[in-house]
Amino acid sequence: MLLLRLWNYMRGYVIIVVEGYFLEKFINICIHRQVFLWGIKRQKNCTMTLNVSIRGFKMLRPIAKKTGCRMEIVEKRGLPFILNRYKRRKTFIAGAFAFVILFYIFTSFIWAIEVTGNEKIDTEVLIDKLAQYGVKQGGLKYSIDTGDVVSSLMIDVKELAWVGVSIKGTKVKVSVVERVAPPELIPAAEPCNIIAYRDAVIKSVYAKIGQQEVRAGDTVKRRQVLISGSITSENKEVGAKLVHASGEVFATTWYEGSAEVRDVIEEKVSTGEKMSNYTLVLFSKEIKLFPKAVPYNEYEKEETKKRFSVGEDMVFPIGITVDTYNENKLVKKNIGLEEAQKAAEDEAYNKAAEDIPEEAEIIKRDVEVIEKEDGDMEVNVIIECIEDIGIEQKMGGS
Amino acid sequence: MPREGPDRAKKRKDKESRRINIKEKMTEILELPKEVVLNVPRLTMLGNKNLVIENYKGIIEYETVRIRINTGTGIIKITGELLTIKEITSEDIMVEGRIKGLEFLE
Repeated sequence: MLLLRLWNYMRGYVIIVVEGYFLEKFINICIHRQVFLWGIKRQKNCTMTLNVSIRGFKMLRPIAKKTGCRMEIVEKRGLPFILNRYKRRKTFIAGAFAFVILFYIFTSFIWAIEVTGNEKIDTEVLIDKLAQYGVKQGGLKYSIDTGDVVSSLMIDVKELAWVGVSIKGTKVKVSVVERVAPPELIPAAEPCNIIAYRDAVIKSVYAKIGQQEVRAGDTVKRRQVLISGSITSENKEVGAKLVHASGEVFATTWYEGSAEVRDVIEEKVSTGEKMSNYTLVLFSKEIKLFPKAVPYNEYEKEETKKRFSVGEDMVFPIGITVDTYNENKLVKKNIGLEEAQKAAEDEAYNKAAEDIPEEAEIIKRDVEVIEKEDGDMEVNVIIECIEDIGIEQKMGGS
Repeated sequence: MPREGPDRAKKRKDKESRRINIKEKMTEILELPKEVVLNVPRLTMLGNKNLVIENYKGIIEYETVRIRINTGTGIIKITGELLTIKEITSEDIMVEGRIKGLEFLE
């Protein structure tokens, strides 16, 4: 029954009132002429209401004439009538169609490219490369063969170990995994020396292969040979034997850093005043909206980019950039000497520690406060470490 | 044209009823739908609310309290309250309402 009702609704039907003396005759003729009627309800005063399809209703008029009945439509129901109502609203229909078509067109372009996973390689480099394969802002997304892009990118950028390209909405997501570059090793068959990579005082030398050139307590300069790969024999007639030297040379090294002690510092304090400039971004063009000059001497710029998008992946090429300028005031502040000294010490320590390799063991740190002639004070930090200073170097090479 | 005597008329009626009997028996033997072959209405009732009459001929009277329907075996008179014709096609008619009586008029 539900199906029949739905069918009737789809085809459209009318509820009509029939008035006359020969209603039975009216129904009988309808049946005879194959007009389907339903929901016939008898009212008083020689009237009845009934439902009839649109097609059936067109056939009713001669029947009504024949039986001397009057008909009147009470209600029109069904899809055809609703559609008919909207048929007149041409602009509305046109707008709806235009919207659908524009939506389709806009979403068939790429409007955003997201590169994730790269640490050493610049995102710009990858985006440039992608643009060469057609993956760029404004490119047609149906023309992209992700498999092709992946293989070309892998071939062109050697540092990549894996590339994944997926198109989601108007966004192209490129996730990459970088190859961990293997350390440059000199092949074991090639002879080499072990040299010092920085100035140090030798603590212990353990030569596995090769001839030991320095002893504990020796001061060595940078690039000085520690373990030589050419072993000279006592027998002068036999030439030097060349080997791939290896071994550990532990030495004491020093790292230095210094910083000035300033007990008066300038601090930026926000005054609370701020202003914003708006920029409309259309495709790749930027249009400044009512640009104003920044009236502050000291300010901090804060940039927020907003892009119009549906969900996370349907990004449209329309966005707005808001540049907010916060005014700052420089406030001179006097902190105590002790605190200033501590701050300088931290600064100096950080400067010194920058160069210390991870393997090095810190054994001592010296802090020295020097008062200069002009009254300024300086903090000197010296960190003493023990580390393996030996690195391999090809023989005869630079 | 010779006048038919009472004997002959009786004979003819006998013959006719015999033919119907044969027809009935044949349909029973062949298991054919009786309402089609014998031109008899099939009535299906659901409680006192719903009545479907198949194989009818036409409507004679339609009021909210009384419906008379012409069929092959005579007139069927339905009495009740708030009677409506839910659906009507050339094969069947569905009457809905509170049905109180069903009468077969020869």
